[in-house]
Parts: sequence; structure tokens; C-alpha cells
Amino acid sequence: MGYAAVKGGLEAVLAAEDLVRRLRVTDGSRWLEDDQLGGRLRLAVDRVQGEGGLWAPELAAAAIRQAEGDLIEAAQLVRSYRSTLPRLGYTPPVDADEIRVARRVVPAYRTPPGPQLLGRTLDYTGRLIDFSSEAAQRAAVRSNGPTAAVTGQNGDAQHPRRLLHLLRERDLLVERGDHSDPDPFDITRRPVTVPAPRSARLAVLALGETGALVNLWYQGIRGPNAYAHELTLGEVRTGTLPVRVTHPRTGRPVTVGRVGVTEIESIDDIRDGDPARFDAGYGLVLGHNERKAIAMAALDVAIERDRGRTPLEQSVLQTCDGLDASGFLEHLKLPHYVTFRSMIERKEAVRAAGERA
Amino acid sequence: MTAAIEDLLGPAAPYSWGFLDEQSKREIRRAILTAVAVPGYQVPFGSREMPVARGWGSGGLQVTLAIAGEADVVKVIDQGDDAGVNAVNLRRLIASTTGVATTTDAREATIVQTRHRVPEGPMRAGQVLVLQVPVPEPLRAVERGEAEQRQLHAEGDYARMWVSLYEDLVRHGVITCTTGYPCLVGGRYVIATSPIPRWDCPKLHQSEHLSVFGAGREKRIYAIPPHTDVEPLTFEDVPFEVERTPGAACVLCGAVEAYLVEVPGRGWVCSDTDWCARRRRAS
Repeated sequence: MGYAAVKGGLEAVLAAEDLVRRLRVTDGSRWLEDDQLGGRLRLAVDRVQGEGGLWAPELAAAAIRQAEGDLIEAAQLVRSYRSTLPRLGYTPPVDADEIRVARRVVPAYRTPPGPQLLGRTLDYTGRLIDFSSEAAQRAAVRSNGPTAAVTGQNGDAQHPRRLLHLLRERDLLVERGDHSDPDPFDITRRPVTVPAPRSARLAVLALGETGALVNLWYQGIRGPNAYAHELTLGEVRTGTLPVRVTHPRTGRPVTVGRVGVTEIESIDDIRDGDPARFDAGYGLVLGHNERKAIAMAALDVAIERDRGRTPLEQSVLQTCDGLDASGFLEHLKLPHYVTFRSMIERKEAVRAAGERA
Repeated sequence: MTAAIEDLLGPAAPYSWGFLDEQSKREIRRAILTAVAVPGYQVPFGSREMPVARGWGSGGLQVTLAIAGEADVVKVIDQGDDAGVNAVNLRRLIASTTGVATTTDAREATIVQTRHRVPEGPMRAGQVLVLQVPVPEPLRAVERGEAEQRQLHAEGDYARMWVSLYEDLVRHGVITCTTGYPCLVGGRYVIATSPIPRWDCPKLHQSEHLSVFGAGREKRIYAIPPHTDVEPLTFEDVPFEVERTPGAACVLCGAVEAYLVEVPGRGWVCSDTDWCARRRRAS
């Protein structure tokens, strides 16, 4: 018996697969190395890690190369690999204040506690395509030398105080700590149903597709059910956080590595709540991806404010996953002739019933 | 001492037997057991990302990989066809990650994974039919809210479903529901029958085999155990209708009592290619 010999389908599939591999591998240009992808397309690698839900820069780079730059496909490769890894345990929680910031801006204040550290960003640079050659670009960088870092120095530059602390001290922030939800909801092990605990919501958003989250947020601004809220960002941070495991012998936490993160705190009004205080939304995603983290923080607070009055929570939590949406969309390419035959039969049945009547 | 860790890890293999790690397989098996114990109830499970895209059989694949053992023989069909592109892809994945034997002969298989069809011939006791499910929720057309859907199932409140069937009938003269026809399982839960044609629904009723439905994207598993009532929802005076086209017969094997699909300009053929080929060999 063994491997079923199925004519036609298998041959066609093998030929298609071969065509992809052959054209990808034999392209006339040089092979893209992992370090090139990580070094030169770092934001793509970060995005794949965030949407793939796994911090593994080399794996994400390899996935992007194999997927020919299709980032959703690369995230699919990473996430399906993640499914094979046994869940041996959970890391103890890390205080986000331990972040070692590489970039930090506080739009809410001119001079916040801690620095305004622009870091590695193009936010304030004209979007002009640089037509100069690689050699010229390298020469320009060499001859200019590094620009000295400019920070409004104010306290510990690497571990600045959070703006929310300031608001809390002035009693301007509503307390949203939820003690009924002590352990984070593990969305890789349990399906999320709405209404979902906040930790599940944050986990789903953190794994969501960047474009989907941006769109879901923008729906709230210009969509038919817009709740048109402009929020203020309290913190925009990128940097690294330590990952710790509990040492099996000593029982003490041991730092085993660091992951790159983008963290956002958004400040918003509380509609029909406490008008004398603000509410805060939270966004934290793997890698450097500010767009996604801001959308996450905005949607977090939007869902909180909505309190199940509209289908917002279901729409966000059940539609923001890029792999779910793309996979289901693309499955429409699969054969559907069994179902279509049934559909035609019913059309004819409706017609026959009409003629009888 | 340092070498011991390497020894514990064993030889480096990029993927384990059956792709999923053992804990995941166990979890999926538990969900299947719950599904068998409560026929028709959609059991939520922590669906894993699989090496196929969501919507391409990731739920069925998880079920098959979680239950397959070394002695199993697996058949995979899409639209009833072993050579369908998705069937080919899934069969290769199942075979290459487990090493189980595969077959196209439904009689030899212990597990049949399928998209959109139930094999034409009768299945026997001990066989498992694994159905790939895109949309597991039969109430979605009448209720969009997930919390509300769960409540309606819990209360066995299918009134809106009945009303929608009635309105359909009044408006169109027939019930226009095509594939994935809603069926009441064990007199308790209404299920979405994958999207198999209505033709296949009677094969699930009081069957000898176990049917397990896997919806990977929507993270639900449900089942119809052997010898369980499966009744398509319809009214006393409106008989349940399966797909039939007057005069249609398979141009290859001559079958009339089979689910036939049209080849424009050439007539009709059986959608179950294995069953059709066996009939031709026998005649």
C-alpha cells in the first residue's frame, strides 16, 4: 500500500512547488543572508516576529526569504513552527519598567519626566527616495561621522519614569487593575470567546496583523460606526525587555535573554464614566512596530469603553488575526465544485417551484 | 555533566512525529473525547497554527495528526477526489510527518480526512471520518453575536432557525439551503454539517463510523458518534430534499444513486473518484 499513488493532482502540485523553489533559488542575484535580512530589513523581520508570535530573528529572516517577502506567509511559517514547540513552562512576569529604551517620546508633555529620545525613527524626515549609489551613501555616512545624541536629559535616560505614574499621583487616572484576572490568558492554549478577559484581549491584539489593527482603529475614526476619539499618547517606547525563567534548583529568576518590544500607553477620556479622570489603553508588541502598538493601545481602550454595547469586541478580537483572515480568503481558490453543484441544484429547485405555483 | 543535556534532548529533528508536540496532541484528543461524549456540541480547543493556511484544513489536520497512530491507514479527499490539490497537499503532510500508510481505497482506510464530502460507499465500525470545517456555527446566519449563539445552544433554543427555514420556504417555495445543511444531533444540538452536500447528510445518521469535525480557524471540534440520530431540520409536511438532477448518470460508471458533479458539455461524473473507479473495475 504505502504512499497512495494519485495521478494528476500530485504531479501538478509537485510541478508548482518545484517552479517556486527553482525560480527563487536560481535567481541571478546573490543569496539573501539572514544577517542581511535582519540588518537591512529589520522592520520586516520584527513584523514577522510580532505577527508570528515568536521571538526568533534568524527564523523570521529565513521565513521571509522562503516566502519571497510575503510577510503574512512568513508569519505563517513562523507560527506553524511555533506549534511544534512544547510548552515547558511560563516565564515569571517582567515589569515593563525594566525596558531599556532605545527610543521614547511623550507627546502629552513638552518636558516629561525622563527624556524625549527620538532614537531610530524616520518620523520627522522627508520621505524622499535616496537615488545615490551604495558607495556614495556609505561615503556620506563615513565623512559625516555619527551625530551626537540629543536628549532632553531628565532623570534616568534608559529607564525613564512613566507618564502614567505622574497622572496617578495627581489622581487623574481611573484604576483599571482587575484582580479577577490574575494569570494571563494563554491564547495559544485556550480559544478566546467574547467577552474576553483583558489579558486575552491584549494577547490577541499583540498577535494581530498590523494592517488589520490599523484598519480596525481607522474604522472608529471614519467608518460608519465611528466613535471618533482622538487619544493622546502618554508613552511611545521601543527597547528591550529581559526574559527570565525560574531556576529549577535555586528557584530564583534567571535572565536568559532579551526581546525587542514596542510599548504604548494611550490616554483617553472615559465616556459616561468618571469625567474627572482619564482612562489608559495599553499596547505592547514584539519588535519595533509602532503603528501596530498604537492601534493596539487605542483598540484596548475602545473595547473597554464600549463595554459590550456594540459588537466592537467581537469584531476586533475575531478578525484581527492576519493568518486567519488571509488563509480563509485564499481558501476560496480551492475547488468548490461539490458545493457549487448543490447551489445550482437549489437555484433550479426554486425555479421549478415558481413554475409549479 | 554537560553532555547529559545533549543526551536528554536526543537527536535533533526539526519536527516531531505527527508535527505537533505530544502535549498538544493530548489536548486535542481530550477535546475529541468531550465532543464524542456530548454529540453535536462544539468543543472549544486551543487550535494550533498548522503548516497549512487557516481555512485549508488546519482543523481536520489537527484531528488526524492527534489520533493517528503507526498502524493507521489514512485516506484524504477533497470534493470526493483523492487527487484534489488540497487532498494531495494534506496527504503528503500527514504521511511525511507521521510515516503512516496512505490509501485511496475507502475500505482500507482507518481514518478518512475529507473536505466537502462523505465517501459514497458505506463506512464501517472502527473507521473515523475527519471533516474539515470552515464555519462550525449553524446559528451564524440568524444570530451574529457569539455570546448569544452559545446561550441559544445551551438552551436548545433553535426557534430562530426554524423561523428562518419557514420564511425561506414561504418566500421561495423550497428550502434553499444548499450544503452544510443544519442537522439536529442526538435530539439535542444543531450542527453545521461541514459543507457537505445534503446528499451526504443521511450517511451521518445512525452510522457505523465516528465523524469528527475540526474547525481550526474557529477553534472548535465536534463529533457524531456511531449510532447517533442525525436529523436534517425540516417540517413534517416538507420532506428533506437531496441533490438530484433528472436523467443524470455518471458517464464513467453509470451510477445514478451517487453525488454527481457536472462536467460542462460532457455530462455527469461521480464526485467520489475512488468509489467510481471501483465500480468500473467490478463491472
